[in-house]
Amino acid sequence: MSGPVSSQPEGAHALRLHRQLNRIWATGPGWQRLAAVNHSVIGKRMFLTSFTFFLIAGVLGMLTRVQLATPHSGFLDPETYNQVFTVHGSMMLFLFAIPMVESFAVYLTPKILGTRDFAFPRLTAYGYWCYLFGASIITVSLVLGIAPNGGWFMYTPLSSNVYSPGVNADIWLLGITFVEISALSLAVEITVSILKMRAPGMSLDRMPIFGWYILVTALMMIVAFPPLILGSILLELERAFGMPFFDPTRGGDSLLWQHLFWLFGHPDVYIIFLPMAGVLSTMIPVFANRQLVGYRAIVVAIIALAFLSFGIWVHHMFTVGIPHLALAFFSAGSAIVAVPTAVQVFAWLATLSHGKPRWGVPMLYIFGFFFIFAMGGLTGVMLAMVPFDWQAHDTYFVVAHMHYVVAGALAFPMMAAIYYWLPLVTGRTAVHRLAVPAFWLIFIGFNMTFFLMHLTGLLGMPRRVYTYRGDEGWNWLNLLSSVGGFVMTIGFGLLLIDLVVQLRFGRRVRRDPWKAATFEWAMALPPASYAFASIPHAGPQTDSVPRGELALSLARGEGYLGFARNGWQETLGVHITSGKPDQVIVLPNPTYLPLVTAIVTGGVVLGFLFKAYWLSLVLALVTFGLFVHAGSRAGLSRDHGPLPVGLGVEVPPHTEVASTPSYLAMICALFANGTLFTSLIFGTFYLWLAGGDWQKMTPPTPSWSLAFGAIVSLVIAAVSTRGSLKVVAASGKASAWMGLTAIALIAAVAAIVQMILGVTPSPREHALGATASVLLGYVAFHAGAGLLFLFSNFQRVRNGYISQRRSSDLRLTQLWVGYTLVTGIIAVGLVLALPSLVTVLGARP
Amino acid sequence: MNAATSAIVPPRRIWWLAGGFGVWCLALSVLYALHAVGCAFGWPTAVLRWSLVIVFIAHLLVIGWMWLKFARQTPNADAGKTGSFLQDVIVWSTIVAFASAVLALGPPLLLTTCI
Repeated sequence: MSGPVSSQPEGAHALRLHRQLNRIWATGPGWQRLAAVNHSVIGKRMFLTSFTFFLIAGVLGMLTRVQLATPHSGFLDPETYNQVFTVHGSMMLFLFAIPMVESFAVYLTPKILGTRDFAFPRLTAYGYWCYLFGASIITVSLVLGIAPNGGWFMYTPLSSNVYSPGVNADIWLLGITFVEISALSLAVEITVSILKMRAPGMSLDRMPIFGWYILVTALMMIVAFPPLILGSILLELERAFGMPFFDPTRGGDSLLWQHLFWLFGHPDVYIIFLPMAGVLSTMIPVFANRQLVGYRAIVVAIIALAFLSFGIWVHHMFTVGIPHLALAFFSAGSAIVAVPTAVQVFAWLATLSHGKPRWGVPMLYIFGFFFIFAMGGLTGVMLAMVPFDWQAHDTYFVVAHMHYVVAGALAFPMMAAIYYWLPLVTGRTAVHRLAVPAFWLIFIGFNMTFFLMHLTGLLGMPRRVYTYRGDEGWNWLNLLSSVGGFVMTIGFGLLLIDLVVQLRFGRRVRRDPWKAATFEWAMALPPASYAFASIPHAGPQTDSVPRGELALSLARGEGYLGFARNGWQETLGVHITSGKPDQVIVLPNPTYLPLVTAIVTGGVVLGFLFKAYWLSLVLALVTFGLFVHAGSRAGLSRDHGPLPVGLGVEVPPHTEVASTPSYLAMICALFANGTLFTSLIFGTFYLWLAGGDWQKMTPPTPSWSLAFGAIVSLVIAAVSTRGSLKVVAASGKASAWMGLTAIALIAAVAAIVQMILGVTPSPREHALGATASVLLGYVAFHAGAGLLFLFSNFQRVRNGYISQRRSSDLRLTQLWVGYTLVTGIIAVGLVLALPSLVTVLGARP
Repeated sequence: MNAATSAIVPPRRIWWLAGGFGVWCLALSVLYALHAVGCAFGWPTAVLRWSLVIVFIAHLLVIGWMWLKFARQTPNADAGKTGSFLQDVIVWSTIVAFASAVLALGPPLLLTTCI
């Protein structure tokens, strides 16, 4: 990647520029496709993969409707039915909904924000492969008849070893966690890219509203996924090693799972909704022929919605016996969350009413969204009221509500978006002959299926029963629901045919077919591998230019970076708030590493599944090794200083600035990590208060000297990372400081491991010991990971990738070790406090 | 030009977009935890209720202080549209957080404590 910098930008002619850039950016043919890291390629793959899982999950849903169409049906036996409805729900939520919105974010965000790719293309690819492999594990398990069978939220104790002794629950826990790694990595990627990689001049106030929606969604994912990842880890530790976090007979509590699950599960609804709301906020102004009404109000509403959605998880647990006063917090919160949602809905309606709306197939699906989502929202407010929820809980009313919300929030905007952006992806316009009847079949079929479920639920039909007697008054409702399901399925079949027809026979489209205002239409259709031949400037001078004309200008290289240099995949980094260019970001080329790393990560998961724990451990180390290897030659191996980027601007490469994307990514990763740690602290206190027999256990007696040794070692490690940085900043050699850090981290790990070995009661005997072990294990893991950072630093210093100007690696290590120190003090302090906490429990009445 | 002049809006400013609601989240967490501890340890009703009220008011005061602080700040003219945009969104997010705290966290404190 390194080499002499050309003093003069190469060619400006559009075709020559296209050839030059395509040679640098394009993914190779044949097997080289597996090495793709380009966001357009990965975005399309994610879309097709998630759509495939949507079809599979849809078929599973239809199987449940066939079973329930008549009483005493023998179509599916109870065990198969359990697997089918569990995988239907899990697949729709985890393997379709979240990846689908991510696929929109991956494909569209860089283009809408006017940049060439994401900040970490290899991470995008790794995320995709993790998703594919995790999802495949779950799908294959269904074929083998060993699929998860405890419902899509996998409640304990049903999913604990006692009641689910097979691998079914393990497949869910490991498969879904695998998929969540993908979601988290993409969330970090998206956050950093939106903040740092917009078109120059695109200050935060000029950012398309889609960017705000995706940014807030990505931040929500960073906070929402860790509690479920922690829950899955704890439940797997219980199932694999007998550590009883959720077993009430050994100091655990099954409700802890519900808390951890819904801390993720409720925000997840909004994680699905917000990107689609972003899609709507992008499309509606185009069809209304006017700007979006209430841009600032919508940004405030998005922020409010994000936070409120985290504060209402308990409304899924109204019937578990929590005191009324506490329930009221969550009931009121669940009601007021409708307000920021309504702000957006009214902004869309105002945009339409103040504009000159034109009709089109996307608008038809937007109409469907308004109708369905309003219905789902209203029943949501009903369920937010505790007395009503007590009546309707775990009935088909909830099933109906959920489908109205998810279909309203996701499916209808998704279909609108498909018709809107398909010309961008394929370069062809829609034929539209089948799109309209497909819409009406889906719309009518959907309402027929799910509206009637409200009534079935109010008549008392519980969810998840595989059959019913026939004298409850549910027969006709169930039969009509099933008929509606088939009508809807025919509609989706037509939609699929329409899409295939469009791909095959659609007319070639002209640039900017919708007369839109966003940058994704200022490029060739379908987009080239580099997206923009030159990067646009966002400002008054480009606002009024039709996107088709702007596309031609950019293709001629009249924007930023309208040339090829050194074979680098270059794009621009900008100041977070102002959008002023501040760095050239040189992205990595296609590589098989993401695929290989994901395969090895898959091996870790499969090792756990087949109880080959040592194999899992070895493969986990190989995975970390591959990450270190991937980083060993990332960036630039020498200093370059400011480089010309076109339009008279010069900025340094990303390796030579403080605000490098990797630094921001580390902050995001630590934020996610901190959420997981906070959830662990919450779990500790929850079990202390709610777990059985904690006060009857002999209080643990952690070693104060080992604890002191561990903390002092971590302090030395943190101080010595600062020393390394100072020495490098003064052009010195940091080997001694780095060596000291390594020794201190090894000492910390040794002290913590000794503490774990001395934990009483035994982690298998009682949740008290299990909790103390996990808290200490968290610190040991992070100190161990710090050693990997150091190993990487050593390698990169040796290879010349770290210098006085290029010191971001050391800053990342400093951040990581600092985080380990802070969480280490809290975790070790809590373990030391456990004896006193247990003693305090004796004061309970 | 906007891009050039708004460079002085420091990135750390955007943390304040989450300021008001961050305190709201903290208030909810502390109230929920305190209530659970109070009920588990059999605190007298009055003690528990007043503890909750004090915690609620303390958080409300913090959000209210933030509201006043941000509302009184005049955006730096050099910060351009970006500065005024962030100022507006921060102020209104804080106001919405305040209203959310009053509506969602206040009235429940009048209910029976531990049933």
